[in-house]
Amino acid sequence: MNPPAVTPETLVPWLDEHHIAWVKTEGVSLDGLVIGKHLGRSKFVKSLPTGNAITDLVLGYDIAGGPFLAWWDTWRADALGDIFQRPDLNTLVIAPDRSNTANVICDFVAADGDPIPSCPRGLLRRVLERLAGHGYQAKAAFEVEAMLFTESVTTARRRHYADLTPLSFPAAIGYLHHNSRQQLEFIDVVVSRLGALGITVEGWHDEAAPGQFEINLEPADPLTACDQVVRVKQVLREVAMDQGHVVTFMAKPAAEYGNGLHVHHSLTRQGEPAFYAPDATLSDASRAWIGGLMATMPAATSLLCPTVNSYRRMVGFAAAPTVASWGEDNKSAALRVLSRSPAAARIEHRLAGGDANPYLVLAAVLAGGIAGIEHEIAPPDPITVTGWGLPTDGWPHLPTSISRSTAALVADGRLRSVLGDDFAQFWINTRRWEWLMFHTTGGDPEATAVTPWELDRYFELV
Amino acid sequence: MVPIHHAFGAEPVNDPPVVERASIVDVEADPVPIVLILAATLRRAERDPRLAARMANAKGNVALRSTVDPQAATIRFAHGRVLIERGVAPDTDVTIAVDVNRMSDLDAPKPKISGALLHLRLALTAGKVLDPPSERWQVEARRFWEFAGTHPGVPKGVRVVCTDDDTEFLLGGAPVDYEIFGSAHQLTVLFTGGSVFGQDLLDGKLHAVGSLAHMAELTGRTLAFMMGT
Repeated sequence: MNPPAVTPETLVPWLDEHHIAWVKTEGVSLDGLVIGKHLGRSKFVKSLPTGNAITDLVLGYDIAGGPFLAWWDTWRADALGDIFQRPDLNTLVIAPDRSNTANVICDFVAADGDPIPSCPRGLLRRVLERLAGHGYQAKAAFEVEAMLFTESVTTARRRHYADLTPLSFPAAIGYLHHNSRQQLEFIDVVVSRLGALGITVEGWHDEAAPGQFEINLEPADPLTACDQVVRVKQVLREVAMDQGHVVTFMAKPAAEYGNGLHVHHSLTRQGEPAFYAPDATLSDASRAWIGGLMATMPAATSLLCPTVNSYRRMVGFAAAPTVASWGEDNKSAALRVLSRSPAAARIEHRLAGGDANPYLVLAAVLAGGIAGIEHEIAPPDPITVTGWGLPTDGWPHLPTSISRSTAALVADGRLRSVLGDDFAQFWINTRRWEWLMFHTTGGDPEATAVTPWELDRYFELV
Repeated sequence: MVPIHHAFGAEPVNDPPVVERASIVDVEADPVPIVLILAATLRRAERDPRLAARMANAKGNVALRSTVDPQAATIRFAHGRVLIERGVAPDTDVTIAVDVNRMSDLDAPKPKISGALLHLRLALTAGKVLDPPSERWQVEARRFWEFAGTHPGVPKGVRVVCTDDDTEFLLGGAPVDYEIFGSAHQLTVLFTGGSVFGQDLLDGKLHAVGSLAHMAELTGRTLAFMMGT
């Protein structure tokens, strides 16, 4: 187990004590890619507090490495420049798979240390500060879904990620120990490495799609909860590679159930659970919070469902919500509200795909709730019916494409205000770019199933 | 109207007559890029009264299909309106197959047209309105600048040099912080929404002197101009 926190004063003794020669810096791009360098320890120590320089292109290219060259932003140097990875020493841990290496999660900042609006982790920090200004603290816990295939990553690439063999019985059953037994050798190593990183897995189980499993993480403060998702996904990829397998978090890599990234969140105010309601009446905080989440959900879809492929997951009776809806303990609603127990009062937001960036997911969710508080938004009635298969008219169907969700974010001034217009505009541009790339570099808009373009672009990296 | 400056000895450019009328061109809900690009092209054709009349009188469905990727759209002419939708509709009368990446090249492969024998007038109309006439590159540049010149981040002034005859034209005002060089053909293609600035630079069709930031913003504006957004 690593010490709980390393400070600038205790850093060098900590590096000495653990014989650390290398530090791996880990920043997360808008598309959720883990970006950084391996720094010799003296270089790392000298780089503090601002951190190591890295090209600003790391926040300026798309998931396929194509540079965003259709707009600019004030934080970018006119002719390419450096930004910096400021390490969060609270996240410094010994790498579980390399004896002389430590890993540290970083924020992207400017040379003067100022936050960069397009840094996902920095965005979540700003949203949390705004939430604290209203007197609330949040906790969050993610459910990470992924699919495991028996082929190696090299074979998967050669096959363009098609015709792979799921590591399970090939039927949509779920919770099947026949399947989890086959995945045990893989998961055991994952859980062990996560433990070494200080991440406790509450539980895991076989999920409904072939090769699919779900890992449940403990509730934590929002920044830590997102950091943990980043590390869980990284460890899953690494262990899969080590064992000659390949794993994907794509929202819809095949025709079966897709991968989600459900997030449970709760609020406290002066230590009291804000979502707790002993009877059928919502608490005041819950009313405004759910009202905000509901009102901003179409726009938040842009961040929760960020790729062209995300929208293939959002079909009825396939676990993902298709209408903006909430209900008490209703898993077919977008918001599953659990308010009856003070110890477990929380909201499960079920919209995000496995391809979403956890920092952006939580930032968008919390920003929606904050918008509800700031604008005193009343929620619509809860649904008590099944949230799938509903008529086209009369129900608030969620955006069905990346272009529609982008348009919804453009139109939603309340959500953009909490996210910050600098971030929101940059994000909107990146989603328009993703839409453009799909349509103009070989994607088939007429396809009713996942396309080779999507598999090549997303399978390995989201 | 953005003032135009005739610096560097460039010859004056007179405004072409502009007749403002409501467009008859509509697009599907949630349009894809090729639909938007075709709509912008047809709206440019509407500036010509003869083409506008021809479009308004046309009847039938014309599909444009890319030969190099899955992009396709159907243009529906009916009742004095034009509606553009994604894909090749089953009730298409005329189909034009074309390399969408090379449509503006001087040596572009000829499009393959099917259905023209049965629908000759429709095919001729489609051919005309999908390739509307352009003004001199300076006039088209000015039109582009009216669209792009006030966008945040674009250069204050752009010196455009035609490498065919070294004529120059200034878009915007001082300071001149960006320069574009290219043939009259390529400049016309760019300023009529037929190409994307950054791609033209990558392809060596145009050259430029200036910052990456300005290049990116100009690229974004040419993309938006191309799609009429």
